[in-house]
Formats: sequence, C-alpha cells, structure tokens
Amino acid sequence: MSENNNINNNNEQLALDDGRRVKVLSPGMMVFKRFIRNKLAIVGIIILAFMFAFSFLGGLISPYRQDQVFYKTDSANKEFASAVVNTEYRFLTEDGSPLSTLVRANFSRLVKDAGDGDISFDADGAAWTVQRLGEGFYSIGTTKDLATVTLLGKVCDVKALDGVELSDAVKDAALQTAKAGGGSFEIDGQTYMLTKGKAKTYNLGTVGEVAIASLLSYDAHDSADTGVISTYAFRRAAELALRSGETSFEADGIKYTLEAEEDSALIFRDGEENPLASVSRIIVNPVTSGVFLSVDYKAAVSEAIADKQTAFDYVNADGVTERHTIRMRGNNYIIYTEQQTYLIDMYAAPSWAHPLGTDDHGMDVLTRLMYGGRISLLVGFVVMLLENLIGIIIGGISGYFGGWVDTLLMRFVDLFNSIPYYPIMIIAGAIMDALEVPPYTRIFLLMAIMGIMGWTGVARVVRGQILSLREQDFMVATEATGIRVSRRIFRHLVPNVMPLLIVQATMGLGNIILTEATLSFLGLGIKYPLASWGSIINAASNIYVMTNFWYIWIPAGLLIVLTVLGFNFVGDGLRDAFDPKMKR
Amino acid sequence: MSSAYENVVEVRNLCKYFPIKAGLFGRVVGHVHAVENVSFSIKRGTTMGLVGESGCGKTTIGKTLLNLTPKTSGEVIFNGDTHLDMLKGKSLRDFRPKIQIIFQDPYSSLSPRLPVGEIIGEAVREHNLVPESEFDAYISRIMKACGLFDYQKDRYPHEFSGGQRQRICIARAIALNPDFIVCDEPVSALDVSIQAQIINLLEDLQKQFNLTYLFISHDLSVVQHISDTVGVMYLGNMVEYADKAEIFANPLHPYTQALFSAIPVPDPTVKMNRIILEGSIPSPANPPSGCKFHTRCRKCQAVCSQKAPRTMDMGNGHTVACHIYDPESGYENA
Repeated sequence: MSENNNINNNNEQLALDDGRRVKVLSPGMMVFKRFIRNKLAIVGIIILAFMFAFSFLGGLISPYRQDQVFYKTDSANKEFASAVVNTEYRFLTEDGSPLSTLVRANFSRLVKDAGDGDISFDADGAAWTVQRLGEGFYSIGTTKDLATVTLLGKVCDVKALDGVELSDAVKDAALQTAKAGGGSFEIDGQTYMLTKGKAKTYNLGTVGEVAIASLLSYDAHDSADTGVISTYAFRRAAELALRSGETSFEADGIKYTLEAEEDSALIFRDGEENPLASVSRIIVNPVTSGVFLSVDYKAAVSEAIADKQTAFDYVNADGVTERHTIRMRGNNYIIYTEQQTYLIDMYAAPSWAHPLGTDDHGMDVLTRLMYGGRISLLVGFVVMLLENLIGIIIGGISGYFGGWVDTLLMRFVDLFNSIPYYPIMIIAGAIMDALEVPPYTRIFLLMAIMGIMGWTGVARVVRGQILSLREQDFMVATEATGIRVSRRIFRHLVPNVMPLLIVQATMGLGNIILTEATLSFLGLGIKYPLASWGSIINAASNIYVMTNFWYIWIPAGLLIVLTVLGFNFVGDGLRDAFDPKMKR
Repeated sequence: MSSAYENVVEVRNLCKYFPIKAGLFGRVVGHVHAVENVSFSIKRGTTMGLVGESGCGKTTIGKTLLNLTPKTSGEVIFNGDTHLDMLKGKSLRDFRPKIQIIFQDPYSSLSPRLPVGEIIGEAVREHNLVPESEFDAYISRIMKACGLFDYQKDRYPHEFSGGQRQRICIARAIALNPDFIVCDEPVSALDVSIQAQIINLLEDLQKQFNLTYLFISHDLSVVQHISDTVGVMYLGNMVEYADKAEIFANPLHPYTQALFSAIPVPDPTVKMNRIILEGSIPSPANPPSGCKFHTRCRKCQAVCSQKAPRTMDMGNGHTVACHIYDPESGYENA
C-alpha cells in the first residue's frame, strides 16, 4: 500500500501489465474482505453484537437485580374467624377452685335428660345436688359434713367433727330426724341433711351451693374488667337477672344494668354509656393465632348469627367497613372476610415495569434473561477456549510427533469419546447437588467438566490438519533450510491450522451454548438464584406455565436460537472466507 | 569454503528401504526397496541428471541425500568429510544451508501465510548469514538474481504464478549460499515456455554462484540440456552412469536404450525407431529376482533372472549394470 502511494507521489508512469499496479493484500485482509461481503455472516455478526450488548450491557442498564423478588398486595376472601353455639357448660366455683372432672362429667351426663327436675349424684365421696335456676343455668350444691349422729339402742349421740360448733337446736333436730330415718330439716334458713352412714350412724351435713354452670360466655369490653366479670357473685347475679328477665342486678354492692336480646346481652355498669361486658352463647375464635378479636366484633358476629344473617358489615378499628360473610360448616360458623395480603408477584403479565413479566419466583424475566445471557455466553466462550487449549496441545503433539505418541494419544481420544456424555453430566450434577456446591463455584465446575469432556473433536481436527501439513513441501523446506522446531511449529504450522480452528471454534460455540442450555434445562447446570437461558426455559417443563405464561420461556428460547444461529452464520462466513478456493 | 574437494557429494552404496507395516500393531511385513546400492559422485560446479520412470527412486535419492528421510545404509559424504547422518540437532541445522532442495510442486512448497520476503529471508536470519543491517538489501539482490522484483517482497504466494513461485523457491535456496542443490523435478509442474525460463535461470545461477546440482527429472530433453553427467535409474538401481555426451551418443543398457528412443525429435521427417517396453514397472516391494529389468528386457536370457548384474566400468567414466557387458556373467552374446 505504501508502495502504491510512493508511486503515485512520484507520478511514475506504470505499464498496464506492471505488477506494481496490483494492490497487495495480506491473507488476513483478504479473509476480512471476503467475510464482510457475506451478507449472512454480517447478519450473524449483528445478532451476536446484539446478544453481547443485551447480556453484558443490559445487566448494567436494568434497574433490577437478577435475584430481586417482586411483591404485590392482593385481597383474598380468607377465613377470618369461626363461631360456634356453645353446648359445653362452663363452671364457676364459689371459691375459684376448679371443679373435679368426675363431677363435671356426671353433671354433663345427667343434665341432658333432667328437664326441669333437680338432679343428685354421688361423686368424690360426697352427695351433689343440681338445681335448675333457668334455661341453661344450674346451681351445683354439695353436702358438707358437720357431725356424726349415732343411734344405738337407747344411746343417741351427736358427735361434731373437729372444729365444728353445733347449736343444741341443730343437735336436737338432727336426732329427731335420725330417729325418723333421715332426711333434711331447716333451721335459721340453713338446710341440714342427714344421710345414712355405716350401721346405725347418720352423717349430718349442710347442703350448700358451691358452683354454677352456664352455657353463656362473657367477654369484657375492656380487658381491665376481666376480673370483675369473672367473679362468682357477678356471674350468679347476672345469670339470675338474665333468666328472670330483669334489666338490672347488683353484685358486690355495684349496680349493673342489662340489655338482653334473644341469645345475647350487654351488661353496663349503672349509668355508663359503654358496655362492660357482652354475654352470648356464641363463642367466636380467630382462625389464625396471633389475631385478637375485639369484643365488638364478637358481639357483631353473635348478633349476625342470632339473626341468621349470612353476611354483615363491621367497622374495624381503622374505621374501614369490612364485609364479612358467614358460612356453616358442620356445627361451626366460619366467617370470611376480604383481606389485603402481601404476595410474591408470580407470573405477572408483561407491563412497563416488567416488559416480559415475572417468573415463578417473582423475578423480572427480562433482567434474568440479561444476566442469564452473560452466563450462557461466558460458559460458551470459556468452554470453547478450554476445549481448544486441550485439543490443540494434544492434537498438535499427536500430529507433529506421530508414531507411537500419535497412536497412544488417539486411543486416549477414543477412550474419552466412548464416555457417555449425559450420564457423566447427570452424575456430576448429582455430586454437586449432594455437596451443596455454591452457585458460582458450580458454574466454574460446569465449565471445567464441559471443557474436559469436549476437547476430543478439536484434538482430532488439529491432529489431522497437522499430519497433512507436516507432509507438505513447505514444511520439508523448513527442515531443509535448518529452521528450528519451535519456529517451524509457531510460524508455519500454527498459522496454517488457525483458520480451520477459528471456524471450528465459532461453529462449536453454538453447540456449547446449546449443551449448557440442555444441562441447565435438565437442572444439572446453572442453579437458582443464578440464571442461564436454559434454566429459564426450564419453566416450560410445567405444562401450566408452558400453556399460560408464554412470556417466561419463549424469549429465552428465541435468544438461544438466535445466538446459535448467529454463531453458525459467522462460522459459515469465516469458513467461506478462509476457503482458498473462493476468489476475492 | 571447502572448495578444495573436487567432489561436492559422494554417494557410496546408498540404500533406502521403507518398511511396510500391517496389522493392528504395525508389524513390519516387508520393505519397499526404494533405493538399492546406488553410488555416484558429483564434481563441483557440474550438474548431474538423474532420470528414470515414476517410482524408480529418484526423489528418494534426493531426500535421502539431504537426510530429510534417514537412509538405511551406505554413505553420503559432502565436501569430502561431512557425513550428514552423523550430525545431530544444532550442528545438523547449521550445515543445512550448504545443501538445498527445490521441489517439484511450487504451490505446496511455499507457506501460504507468509509474505515472500519472509519466506526467502527466514532461514537467512535464522542462520545469521548476513548482518541485520544488510538484510533487506541482500534479499533484494537475491530476488533480483532470481528474476523477482523488489516490490513483491510483501506479497503472499497466492498472488504469484507457478513460474514465479518456482523462482521464489529457487531464491529461498540460493539465499542460503549453498554448495549443492537438489533440483527435484523443478520444471515438471510448469508449462514449456516457463520451463525454459527456469532452466536458464538455474544455469545462470550455477555460473554466478558456482553451484552444483543434482537435477532429478523424467524429462530427457531437459536433462540433456542441463546436465554434465547423467545417471539412469530403474527400480531403485542405477543401471547406467556416464557423461552426457557419452551416454546420449552410446547408451549401453537396454533400459537406457528404450528410454532414449522415446525422446521426441522436433522434426517430422525423422523416422523414429522407438523401443516399446511391455508391461509396467514391477512393485519395488517385491522386486524381480536377478536383474530387476529382466521382466521387460528385450535381451533377457536365463542368467538375467538368476543373478544380479555387476556394475561394469566401460571406460571413460561410463558404468553400466548389465550382464551383456559382463564377460563372466554367462550371458551369450549373439
């Protein structure tokens, strides 16, 4: 070229057939000129340029991280509370001590069939009497032993138990009753009872109420009042007032008023606006633990159930009106409500925020495609370089030295070729899974394994090429002119093998990317949270995703197809450009 | 310069057998007798022509001479004292420039990825034959001597025609200032007009640089033109050797006679008396017994198939290996 310029500057007249008129092009330039003339190769280059920009620049531009999970709020009609009409009696003892299980069991068994009548039973060595004070309200009484009355012939004696003082009137009455064969008597408003004991003895005891049983449940509107409404006196007075239809009662010297409805009631402190407690046969419990249901809410539920409504509105603490629906399930009422929930934004449809939607982890598909492209292309290049490095060294040694070295190395290549590829990859994947290899380490291991498994093709090509080049006259000439071995290899052999290798490598890149995609698709390659195009397509292995969410897997598939196509176009173009039979 | 020795190269009883390998482990099952018991010497500044059919071992002699393929037995002595096969590694490489080769195919003998200047100068630089400062001028001079232009230095072999490529090959050999050049059919791949140019170039260079050639060819006209002495080969043996004038005037061996009868004469009125050889050349892996030529020889007798002929000196430096000229052979001359 400089030669031409000099000639033009000197304005020297050249003959038409002068060799200096011919422009000198190095082989590299000629290849380049032929290459850029190939339209398909240019299309391939453009595709690849796009892919590289998309993968390596896209990740920088994208506002999201590749493992960023997106959330959305959504309302769902969820179970909120359950309500049940109480059929289990609740017991409250006078002294606050719990009633024995045996007594409660006896009571529950007998009270069903008792109707209006009183019940009595023996339990825990004492006699128990149950008195019906109203609908679903019982007073449970028991005897309390005071003395032993002995009637032996003419000897009559009333022997008081330790620490019990009995008046003479009581003693006389007891003797009289004993002689009459037992029974009860009353003195000073206190009922005494004489029950037959051993032989000719009677036990004298008082009958007194020790507990009440009710089907109603009490809820204090203010939790500070829980103590007040749990006292025996309050409960007894309130229950009595409810049964008798009174609108006020008094307990522990405090006056209360009552607003009763069918199955429920509100109790107010006398003169106060806000209710003290609500009473209902309906018990309301939250479905999920950790949720506190206000008394207002419980009252609202009770009221709705009592009114046999299927839905009611409730103004919650924030002043928002919520619609609650009631459904029967068995003996229970289940209350549903629309609730705002924080959800992972799975399978979101394409939008401006997520041009290709989100995947099953709620991650932006476009961003993952960008980062996945990085890994797919990187794996492709690294594996290609590794394969070529090993292949050139082994193929080069084999081809240059020939003889037994060649035989040995080529049998080694045969051995490698007969290792089944996918079973090895599946085993390697399983081992990496078992060792819980971190995702990034896994990529490097994957590259190494793919490189080690894939070099044989390159080695064969290089060996064949070098074998044929070695016999060419120009290689014999280098020997005849006494050029040293390293120069012969690197100045003469390698440059002549290079074109074929470049074509091979370019074509091979597409294949490596496909293999990596296949492995990742099978779950052996790149693992979550990292992505590769293959692992993104893996979503399509779920038929539901495949049929409904095209935007998750179709773009990844297109990118793979385009990239492989691009590499093949470029490879074809390079092959044609390197082909010496193609004239410039 | 070791010009004190009259003979640049002396070849004594040179043999080259190629093993025939077969089977899985490459067992040697036989040998191709490519060159058998060949002896000759070439005087400084002369050209020896080597002629023979395809496959008779001409090229093998050329390559074995340069130790490009190791010989089986015999001796090759350069400048009276250098045995090439005794040199190893660096010393062998250092001797290489003295003996060069020009190949038959000018297309495969130039690396397609190096510019011409580099091809010619590579070995010059490798052996430090000229100082770096004079390198460019030296290459230009060599190129000019070989009929190439200075501006072609940066061009690549694919831009040249066959004749130009052969000039490049010659320039590559000449640049190393050799004593001896093996010309392995250097013109057989070229068309006739170019052949003449190359032959003339070789002759000019011989005068200019006092070169010695071993000119291998199957083209008898070319050999007749360029050679000082001529050797005729048949199936690995040199059957006849003499000065050019002597051998063309008086060919003794029946094979030589048959060969020379085939030289075309550019005169349509001349009645050619051609001796047609029957059959084709036998396999060198399994050569015929006795005289190797007996299967095709017109003058074959019983003794020819029984024992190998001795090389007889017929005087005037004319040697021939044929029973006809050996009085002790038992051949009955009619």
